Amino acid sequence: MPLLDTNTPAAFDSDDARLRLKRENRKLFARRFVANKSAVIGSALIALIAVVSLFAPWISGRDPYGLDVVNRLKPPSSAFPFGTDNFGRDLLTRVVYGTRMSAEVGFAVAFASSLIGLVIGLYAGYIKWLDQILMRVMDGLFAFPAVLLAIAMMAALGPSVGNLIVCLTIVFVPSIARIVRSSALVSKEQTYIEAMHALGASRNRIIWKHIMPGALSPLIVQGSFVFAEAIIVEAALSFLGAGIPAPTPSLGNLLSDGKLFIYNSSWMTIFPGLALVLVVLAMNLFGDGLRDLLDPHARRAGKKR
Amino acid sequence: MSAEPILQINELKTHFHTERGRVTPVDGVSLEVGRGEIVGIVGESGCGKSATAQSVLRLFDEKRLASYEGEIRFGGRDLLGLTPKQMRGVRGNEISMIFQDPLSSLNPVYTIGGQIVETLRLHRPIGRKEAAAKAIELLRLTGIPAPERRAREYPHQLSGGMRQRVMIAIALACEPRLLIADEPTTALDVTIQAQILELIQDLNRRLGMSVMLITHDLGVVAETCSRVVVMYLGQVVESGDVRDVFKAPLHPYTIGLMKAVPRLDGDRKQELPDVPGSVPPLHQIPQGCRFAPRCAFADDKCRSAMPELAALPGSDTRVRCWHAGRIAGTED
Amino acid sequence: MAFYIARRLLATIPVLFVLSVIVFLIIYLIPGDPAAVMLGDGASPETIETLREQMGLNLPLLPQYGRWIGHALQGDLGDSFFMRQPVRTALAEHLGPTLSLAVLAELVAIVIALPLGIRAASRRGELADKTLTGFSLFGITVPGFVLSMFTVLLFSVQLKWLPVSGYKPLSDGLWMHLKYLILPALSLGIVQASLLARVTRSSMLDVLNESFVKTALAKGVGERGIVYRHALRNALLPILTVIGGSFGTLIAGAAVIESIFNIPGMGQLLVNSVQRRDYAVIQGVVLFVAFAYVLVNLVVDLLYAIVDPRIRLK
Repeated sequence: MPLLDTNTPAAFDSDDARLRLKRENRKLFARRFVANKSAVIGSALIALIAVVSLFAPWISGRDPYGLDVVNRLKPPSSAFPFGTDNFGRDLLTRVVYGTRMSAEVGFAVAFASSLIGLVIGLYAGYIKWLDQILMRVMDGLFAFPAVLLAIAMMAALGPSVGNLIVCLTIVFVPSIARIVRSSALVSKEQTYIEAMHALGASRNRIIWKHIMPGALSPLIVQGSFVFAEAIIVEAALSFLGAGIPAPTPSLGNLLSDGKLFIYNSSWMTIFPGLALVLVVLAMNLFGDGLRDLLDPHARRAGKKR
Repeated sequence: MSAEPILQINELKTHFHTERGRVTPVDGVSLEVGRGEIVGIVGESGCGKSATAQSVLRLFDEKRLASYEGEIRFGGRDLLGLTPKQMRGVRGNEISMIFQDPLSSLNPVYTIGGQIVETLRLHRPIGRKEAAAKAIELLRLTGIPAPERRAREYPHQLSGGMRQRVMIAIALACEPRLLIADEPTTALDVTIQAQILELIQDLNRRLGMSVMLITHDLGVVAETCSRVVVMYLGQVVESGDVRDVFKAPLHPYTIGLMKAVPRLDGDRKQELPDVPGSVPPLHQIPQGCRFAPRCAFADDKCRSAMPELAALPGSDTRVRCWHAGRIAGTED
Repeated sequence: MAFYIARRLLATIPVLFVLSVIVFLIIYLIPGDPAAVMLGDGASPETIETLREQMGLNLPLLPQYGRWIGHALQGDLGDSFFMRQPVRTALAEHLGPTLSLAVLAELVAIVIALPLGIRAASRRGELADKTLTGFSLFGITVPGFVLSMFTVLLFSVQLKWLPVSGYKPLSDGLWMHLKYLILPALSLGIVQASLLARVTRSSMLDVLNESFVKTALAKGVGERGIVYRHALRNALLPILTVIGGSFGTLIAGAAVIESIFNIPGMGQLLVNSVQRRDYAVIQGVVLFVAFAYVLVNLVVDLLYAIVDPRIRLK
């Protein structure tokens, strides 16, 4: 069925025209992207964080685990720009590694929950009887406050980076699945989808080739918010001792150390705190910008939980 | 036309300052409403009739959106010169207004009675009880059965016709001298339309209240009004006595509208369809006579110079057309 | 009205069921035998077997769930292995501080968000509107527990106005009670306020564009009357939804905040139980909070009916 092999109901006359349209769209998108302040600042910050994460070992040249008993709890100085912690470890190094850890966990969770949420949302949106079961479970999961469910699961699984990613993924899948599902429900009603169904196209083919593309924009936007939210919950969990286990530098662990010395060593709280705010800010700006560009009518429905 | 008009609008301009620049949906409108008179203002959607009506009460947001020019004389004052507080004293008190869709025009979370009481207590120093009793009287006046019960109900519990009667009751609460009715029957069924129009006429006769009736329906004008003002693209193109204008329309646009009028026994709900072409958007106003691009009579003069609104010799009807004389048959 | 309530009640049953199954299954996430994990290394096989018996782990899955939920519905959430007391008692002891904190934080959120959101909507583009834009970015960007640590640094460590941590019950006097709760409640409330303010603004804007606002204007109602009497009540539904929804977020957020301020609430109980591997308490806390969350939202749905006669009289 070559004629039906397009993503839009109005099939294009020639590949040439389609290509030109694509190029035009891309150009237009680029122009709007540059005009969008949030998107530009957000992606610049993300680029900065990515560079810092990738080149972490070279940035300070110090070992994030290197103990130095002489230089315990030193305030910021030229030798230690962010000061040192209670074991004399260089805080700048640990903040850099902690940021990297946050970004890794955030990305892994955003990626995994987007993938799983996409599958669940698409099939729930397209197949009625599955919808009942899947969305009941999603509603149940969604009814938990995110931090609470994550803490309970981490308590059972035990603290480790891998477990944390699994738990946070379970926590954030429902918000993605809901958004994909509502997009799939809309696409499904369109006449050309119904026509293809009548023409005998297979269910999987319709779902992946024709319904999935419509869900991508909201998925990407929501995914970037999950990224930000996952970083916050990761930090909170590590802060409570239910996330990433102790000597590993993560922003939550650093803040947890900072809490113990909040009276006399404020830098142990300030720098990890600011780093966390910066990472979350970057993802939120980026997500806001993306939403304006891709999905201007969408509200922040599933964002907060 | 009565000697001493209750409302006199002189060269009114209403500007909207939008992100894409300034547009002027009301562009130099002059008209009068005499005491006890029902004046119809008619035109296609987008002609500025509704904007003119709302400008009289200065309902547009003057902080962000709109500005006014010209003069609106009412009761010896220029409404455009009043302070916001003075203006509030006019609204709902000396001049009332009712709108097209009575359901969305009533606040869904308050009772019918409460919404009438609110108007009364805004403008009159009366107590709650007295106001509630007056509200029931007003509902009765507008022909609502069982007004005591209705007063305690909410807008969504009433039918469309009942809701418009409620709107009228609210409008009448403070015995205004002028009622502005902005497409009051457009959203209603045909039979209900006739009842509401009858009610407005009846109140006009009994209370001596002047009415400015905005409509896109010449049939409504013919049945209800004594005078008619035809608007096109923010301007008055023809105005005069209903009988004169209907017998011998002078503006090509009015003629087009007349052709479009369905017979009085037919379905009056359809929009004016038969004037060829469509109303251009406000930021693309044509040069010269604004109707020229759609006009069968248009020539080079029409396309370059704007005609004035003026009466032909020996006629009371005022018209804005270079060829009015030819159309009237008094010249060739 | 009765029909509406019945329908809402019925709709919560499947959610509560799924919730309870999830909480029940948490124990199966434990790698290995939960009883052995709880008792630690040196436990004898007999002790482990006794605990398995007590916990009902010997039963097949379904009867085990049935037993557990049956007890839970009667208010019996099992016993704390560590504290040697019923979970219900532990919950009751720790509920007060959390409730105080959540209510206070919600009040902070409402007091900040409603006036700001309303003003931003009625004066678009002016100062309040711009403040709101910045404030809402601040709120989604700065996590509550980071904000609270920063406020501790400023108000307790630097300025020494308020205690760094601790908790005094209401029985020690209102001021004493509040003094210890101000910072945690502010930090939690401000984050919540940013979301609430945004919703208030957009909901108010929607309503202010409705026709009945024009009617009110034409009646001679002033700006205050339009905003407060006519628009606000109509804009209240989405606002109530967010307030109801935020209670769960607040209680969860309290878990983190409590451990910063050393407040003996349910959050601290939960965190301590995680460290002690006291699974009955963990399940109890999570189940309780999640149920409370669903019920608060149910109450909000019923409040709709009071605010909006169209729902009440359907």
